[in-house]
Amino acid sequence: MKRKQRTEILIEGSHELAKSLAKEIEQKYSVSVIQEPENGLVMLKVRETSRNSLFYLGEVLVTECKAKVEGKIGIGIVKGDHPDLAYHLAVIDAAFLGDLPETKPWAGILEIEKYYIEQNRKAKNEAILRTKVSFETMDV
Amino acid sequence: MGYVAVKGGTQAIEESIKRLKYERLHKEQVLETGQIEAGMRGLIDQVMSEGSLYNEKLAALAIKQAEGNPEEAVFLLRAYRSTLPRKYCSKIIETGEMKVERRISASFKDIPGGQILGATTDYTHRLLDFNLMKETEKMVKEWLSSYASDNNPFDELLQEPDLILPKVLDYLRKEGLIPPLENNDAEPDDVTRESLDFPSSRSQRLQILTRGETGAVTSLAYAVIRGYGALHPTVGELRVGSLPIYVGHPNEEGNDEDDYYIGDIKTTEAEMLMPFMTEKEKGKKELEFEIGYGLCFGQNETKAIAMGILDNCLEHPDNSFPSHNEEFVLFHIDSVESTGFISHLKMPHYVTFQSKLDSVRKTKAKADEREEVQAYD
Repeated sequence: MKRKQRTEILIEGSHELAKSLAKEIEQKYSVSVIQEPENGLVMLKVRETSRNSLFYLGEVLVTECKAKVEGKIGIGIVKGDHPDLAYHLAVIDAAFLGDLPETKPWAGILEIEKYYIEQNRKAKNEAILRTKVSFETMDV
Repeated sequence: MGYVAVKGGTQAIEESIKRLKYERLHKEQVLETGQIEAGMRGLIDQVMSEGSLYNEKLAALAIKQAEGNPEEAVFLLRAYRSTLPRKYCSKIIETGEMKVERRISASFKDIPGGQILGATTDYTHRLLDFNLMKETEKMVKEWLSSYASDNNPFDELLQEPDLILPKVLDYLRKEGLIPPLENNDAEPDDVTRESLDFPSSRSQRLQILTRGETGAVTSLAYAVIRGYGALHPTVGELRVGSLPIYVGHPNEEGNDEDDYYIGDIKTTEAEMLMPFMTEKEKGKKELEFEIGYGLCFGQNETKAIAMGILDNCLEHPDNSFPSHNEEFVLFHIDSVESTGFISHLKMPHYVTFQSKLDSVRKTKAKADEREEVQAYD
């Protein structure tokens, strides 16, 4: 599973999952923190749809952490102030970069989490769709 | 008359700051930031947008510290922002990927995906609801439970988890009523890094408009429609929803699938349609449309629409209307700049004022002298 999809599941899903996967690595390997979780900003670059050009919308607060496992440096970065999650994401990122054997069964675990995330989103959006207008033509 | 430099007031200032704290606390109620975050969505969104920093918790803290005063809260948020390092710039965010929570068009009735009202005050009676004064946690839980279990047999069941809908204006593009455009990926300017110069770039204008003070942006756009401008806008599409944010690895070369997802942000986007006449071959005139663009943090529909109107005004400079003058608009809509300047008038101006007073006294003395001479003559 590629990083884009993996990070989306770990951030949108239960944060306990990231914690348990990182713990699995911590128990078997030596993890060194290269950069403690710290707050910073990400500037948001957006395409406007009038001229299709780019502009900066503003910045979002993030927490970033860097951790080293088996010689590979992983990065954990997440919106908001979440030092623990940023650390867990960094450990998981390093584990995937090092192609550690523990990561092999994770794809299945992440797919299950993805299923629950999507079920929740569907339920939320089906409730939103109750506000969809059903136009009726009036007899005048 | 000579001028005297003075100092002092330290103790008075310290007591004044204590007095400010007393005003916030004397009713012996602790307002938790979590309560502000949960119940003041509109104010949080406004403060994040004007503060140009997306984080609900910090906005709630700023609102608490500022006792609900938006201009002070925005100032606090901007000041805090300046202490943080900028770690990354996001990958290009395409608003077509928005996970929609609300989406309407005032121009077209039948739009793909339909008119989705979402959460809006547009259809509420503006009558004070005194029941809210007696609202309890128990009542809130009961209502939420009832809403969650409210199954409607006509519910639309989704195949995909997210509501990602086509843009209404793509229709007009397909019909040739809006000229098609290639993507322009030129790096935008950043007004937080380089001062604004005139003529401004489009990216500078949009950045200043999106972080503009909601009331100021709205008032100027209202003036445009009332006649202090040359536009007749209609809402082509207004949407509220979440935009996913991705950043690339700082060192690795990779494709989009190797990006980091960091979370999403809620935004409001307005695409305003502005009709205008164009001259075609052999002097033939045709009606076409331009789009005014508005996008801001949170759900702030008035601001996004007003931004769309002003965007189009500034694309057509016309010094006969202040709303089409970029210097007039862009230099006066920033909350921190405008409130800061007005507020500084409260600061001691003893020397400058005494200087003015001296001039008035001298002028008056000369006038009196002339009157005396004339009376003598």
